[in-house]
Amino acid sequence: MKPRKEVMVILFIGLCFSVMGLLSPVAGQAADMKEPILTVLNPLGTPPPIKLLPMAPRLDTIKGKIIYIVNDGYPGSNLLLGELKAVMEERHPDTTFIYRDKPGGMGGKIQELWDEIKEKGDAMILALGH
Amino acid sequence: MPGIRLQFIQGPIWGKTAEQIRRDAVLGVNPLTGGPILDKIVEKLTNPLTEEEKRTGEITRSKGPDTFTGTADELQKLFLEKRYTDFMPIILPTEEKVAEMLKGTSHDPDEVLGELSPWKAGFESWTYTVKTVAINAVMAGAKPEYFPVILAIASTQTEALNVSDNGFVVGAVINGDIRDEIGLNYSYGAMGPYAHANTTIGRAWSLLSINGGNCGKPGTTYMGTVGNPMNAINIIIAENEEDSPWEPLSVRRGRGEGMRSFPGMPAPKPEGFKKGENVVTLFNGWGVLSSKNWYANVWGTEMNYPKIIKDIYLTQDGSLFGTCAVLSPPIADFVKDAGFDTVAKFTEWVMDIPGKDIQREGYIAPPGGTFTVIVTGASNNNYFSMGGFVPGQSIRIDPWR
Repeated sequence: MKPRKEVMVILFIGLCFSVMGLLSPVAGQAADMKEPILTVLNPLGTPPPIKLLPMAPRLDTIKGKIIYIVNDGYPGSNLLLGELKAVMEERHPDTTFIYRDKPGGMGGKIQELWDEIKEKGDAMILALGH
Repeated sequence: MPGIRLQFIQGPIWGKTAEQIRRDAVLGVNPLTGGPILDKIVEKLTNPLTEEEKRTGEITRSKGPDTFTGTADELQKLFLEKRYTDFMPIILPTEEKVAEMLKGTSHDPDEVLGELSPWKAGFESWTYTVKTVAINAVMAGAKPEYFPVILAIASTQTEALNVSDNGFVVGAVINGDIRDEIGLNYSYGAMGPYAHANTTIGRAWSLLSINGGNCGKPGTTYMGTVGNPMNAINIIIAENEEDSPWEPLSVRRGRGEGMRSFPGMPAPKPEGFKKGENVVTLFNGWGVLSSKNWYANVWGTEMNYPKIIKDIYLTQDGSLFGTCAVLSPPIADFVKDAGFDTVAKFTEWVMDIPGKDIQREGYIAPPGGTFTVIVTGASNNNYFSMGGFVPGQSIRIDPWR
């Protein structure tokens, strides 16, 4: 019998803790707990407005035209544009292709070259990258 | 420029023969759309302009709402999805936390600090304010007392995440009393993520670049072919001035030592910095690696460190970034004991080689370029790092308090 009493006492104490737990402020908070709503700031900088420049009018055909091929100076792009020029000349024998290196590479000033192309050329292919 | 007609080709080009280029690129197909390159080029020259291409005027873009609201989990997810983060959890930038960060400076939160871009010569630049920097510094986990350093770096308008396919990294060397004031580490693990200040200052720089300058978006504003793990927190070095046998980097640069300009750019001006003055010097390049990576520094019983350093310098590409040596104090002592009682003497000796500074297509052909020495780290052994890393601007930190 003695063992049974001990079990009952233990069960009773356990029940008391359970009831106390339900009634305790902590348990009450847990029942009502919701994740707080936060307001945070946008971390972005401000992008600039984009000015739309109209594209130059297209050619009706490249036949009989002068097309500049301009290299921005990255390693290997001279080979690329040399090959492009050679193949284009094979395929379009009535078109003149003129190769130019862009002065100063990717960051160079190019007004002189621009002026030449505007004066003598009909179109331009500018190669960027490497 | 919206509407500009671009024709992509199959890269890379560099290193290929003319025949390979003709086969892979010229006679190849557009890697994005699959059409033959040559036909597409002719089409782009001859197809009439669309209405969209004829448009003029101005497109204004919004950065979105000033604030976002939600639970912490929701906001972490939102920031991750919007790519406002470096893929690691952030401290959420509440108004209160940002206000606390702004207490680290006397500058107006609305002061425009400048423009950031993945690469100024080729991309649009976004403007950012002191408050933008504070928001990103909070996100990085920085403390308000670090904010003057972060602002000083931000004031240079230098992006931490450059678009280049090289996979560049930036660095900042901090000299002066502020090192101890804010707890920068210049002992064990000085270049790594082993102190709150070093780690979060570097992270703030990258987050500011992502958000303030639209940097670091793979495939568009970031093209690093294999990337660079140092981009997460960059290389933030507090110099170990106490254990160095030489003057601090800031003092040497304050006299004009080691100044160099990139082709077409003016060299920084010497500012006369004094020892103890709080100065940050920015670096960029490929970064630094343990010098044990080089055959010249194989372990031996008789290590001639000046010669080893010079031998490594001779293997470096001087064209863009020269060579930077980050020496532990014992290595610096070895060099000093070899007769180099100033960095200037050591630098002169290292760089005294035949054929240096030969110009090649606008660049300085190797061997050549700058040689920069930084002393940091602990004194427990003879280790040092070297690599292609060049100093740029050196600026005072205190005006940003």
